[in-house]
Amino acid sequence: MENKNDDKLLEIKNLRLHFSTRGGTVQAVDSVNFELKRNHATVVIGESGCGKSSLAKAVLRLLPRNIKTYDGQVILAGEDIMALDDETFRRTIRWKRISMVPQAAMNALNPVMRIGEQVAEPAMVHLSLTKKEALQQAVRMFEQVGVPTDFVYRYAFELSGGMRQRAALAMSLVTLPDLVILDEPTSALDVLTQASIMNLMKRVKNQLETSFILITHDIATSSELADSVAVMYAGQIVEVSDAFQFFSAPLHPYSRKLMASVPRLRMDVEPEFITGQPPSLINPPTGCRFAARCPARFSKCDEEPPMLQIGDRQVKCWLHA
Amino acid sequence: MSQEILQPEFSDEVFSQDVDLDEMRATERKAKRQATVRMIRYTLLKLLALIFTVAVGVYFTVLIANMGGYVDEIRRGQIRETIVLAASLDPEFRQLPESERTAIIEQRVANEEARYGLDRPFILRSFSYLADAMTLNLGFSQQLSSDSGSRLVRNIILERLPSTLVLFGTSNLLLFFISLFFGLTLSRRYGSISDKLVLGLAPTSAAPAWFYGLFLILIFAGLFSLLPFGGMVSAPPPDNPLDYSLSVLQHMILPVGAWLISGIFLTIYQWRTFFLIYASEDYVDMAKAKGLTDRMIERRYVLRPTLPNIITQFALLLITLWTGAIILETVFNWPGIGQLYFRAIGVFDIPVILANTVVYAYLLALTVFLLDFIYALVDPRVRIGGGGEKS
Repeated sequence: MENKNDDKLLEIKNLRLHFSTRGGTVQAVDSVNFELKRNHATVVIGESGCGKSSLAKAVLRLLPRNIKTYDGQVILAGEDIMALDDETFRRTIRWKRISMVPQAAMNALNPVMRIGEQVAEPAMVHLSLTKKEALQQAVRMFEQVGVPTDFVYRYAFELSGGMRQRAALAMSLVTLPDLVILDEPTSALDVLTQASIMNLMKRVKNQLETSFILITHDIATSSELADSVAVMYAGQIVEVSDAFQFFSAPLHPYSRKLMASVPRLRMDVEPEFITGQPPSLINPPTGCRFAARCPARFSKCDEEPPMLQIGDRQVKCWLHA
Repeated sequence: MSQEILQPEFSDEVFSQDVDLDEMRATERKAKRQATVRMIRYTLLKLLALIFTVAVGVYFTVLIANMGGYVDEIRRGQIRETIVLAASLDPEFRQLPESERTAIIEQRVANEEARYGLDRPFILRSFSYLADAMTLNLGFSQQLSSDSGSRLVRNIILERLPSTLVLFGTSNLLLFFISLFFGLTLSRRYGSISDKLVLGLAPTSAAPAWFYGLFLILIFAGLFSLLPFGGMVSAPPPDNPLDYSLSVLQHMILPVGAWLISGIFLTIYQWRTFFLIYASEDYVDMAKAKGLTDRMIERRYVLRPTLPNIITQFALLLITLWTGAIILETVFNWPGIGQLYFRAIGVFDIPVILANTVVYAYLLALTVFLLDFIYALVDPRVRIGGGGEKS
């Protein structure tokens, strides 16, 4: 359907999503630039409250009522989907091209509808399948993600947390979209389930050639799946790198701190933490937003750093200028 | 085209056999059959519990309506007074010697008290009242009579019930469906001007319907003479059934209007808030992300999960119809149950008070009983003890 030679699936340019609240304007997503290749998985990492989930919502245009600014470009396979009107967006983008597994997948299922029906729904709406065909498709997806197939006739409350998560994943894949956005899909699960779901996504990625954006603060688990990494801090992306280079040598001081905070099993290294809190997204500091907590800050940090290109990596830090 | 999309390169062994949806359904059905036995046992227990609750409630009413037996004293006084008065008006009686007169009066009082059962201690009688009430053996009223002159409590109530049902059935059903519809509409338009307007007007419900009724009467009956002041049908009542209905309809406009004015904004506001809360559930956002149409989201993800609540509201509304509204009926001179209740309380007509209460209690119990089954039908989470829940 699309131009297969162009291996750029998604390109986000200057995406901004600001909310107006009683306290002021929250700059949840501020001038984010970001690219994703076909059949790639990008992990977006960062602390809680740095705008990761808002980024996901901005891409799928799932906006709360109090938006103040929402602009920029989201280019999906060469087409700026920000320019589409709401109805076209609903019909042609949502779930047909981009689907998601939400943060609280446990609550993402309607309690009074059978799981299969909910999983099959997008296939009926977007692929114009009959109910029976769509249910068959749902059952196939259940097999893919390791949900017992008779669960299509169950209700959400009859499923364990891990099973619901898998069902949500099956739902996100049912229309075989180009891109699946996973918003902390494993954060509510135990480590064994986390591992099996990560393996599952790896397998799905290879078999269905889906691209993933995985939003998480769980660096260790996400390293399993990641082809590239984007680090988000205070509403901005501060580092983009391929996964291998990132995990061996992160560039941005914040990335380094994040990596250092991961507990190690065998090594005698204390996990570090970053002192202080991320800045409020209402009136974020001018200059580098991480400066206040940065161990390597110097005079230049009062000015906003540009996104620097270092080889095929990008970093927003004066240290690398 | 869609068929091609459906065949990704999955590993073959996964799809070695076709998916048998029918067989899966059959397994589900078997589990359902086992649940039926559990359900019957549950039903019987539930029924017993409800009857017990009704009995306790009615017994309290017996005690309270009799003021713990004090009404007996009042009744004894009334009996003695009536008999002494009757005797003193009898010229033959006046010529009898003092002791004989006293004896006769005492005899008559004792007879009359025995007729009312006042010779037995109150606590014993309270249980026979309870038994009569529970078996809906409503008996005779003590003071009130129906317009046709019957002292049978059943007749008194049946005479009043239709007029109450017509008035409050119309008012409440209108109120329910109008507010449900607008509540849902407003929840979609959170923060709009109409939303703010309803929010601002919600306090109008602080004043009861009869309050607005007074003004409506003043304006439409007094000032403009467009509609009747009160009553249920014009006098003399039209013979033709069509004219009769039209006349009743005309008399209903003001009380129904008063009821709506007093209830509508608050109820819309309540439903709107209710739907807003349920529309912010994660699964509703999810449905939106899935690219479903607004109508599908509203039907499957907002209305369906809230159906138990809506049904409960509706069922409770249906049984409140039974009681009418005392002051509104009085203001509009509407010959309904509310007025009857009020008069019965005023003259300590215990059989009438009890009859009203016990019928209401039974209706309430029946509603609660039926609601349990309706919940199980509309909400799969409602299952009977054991079975199912894993988390």
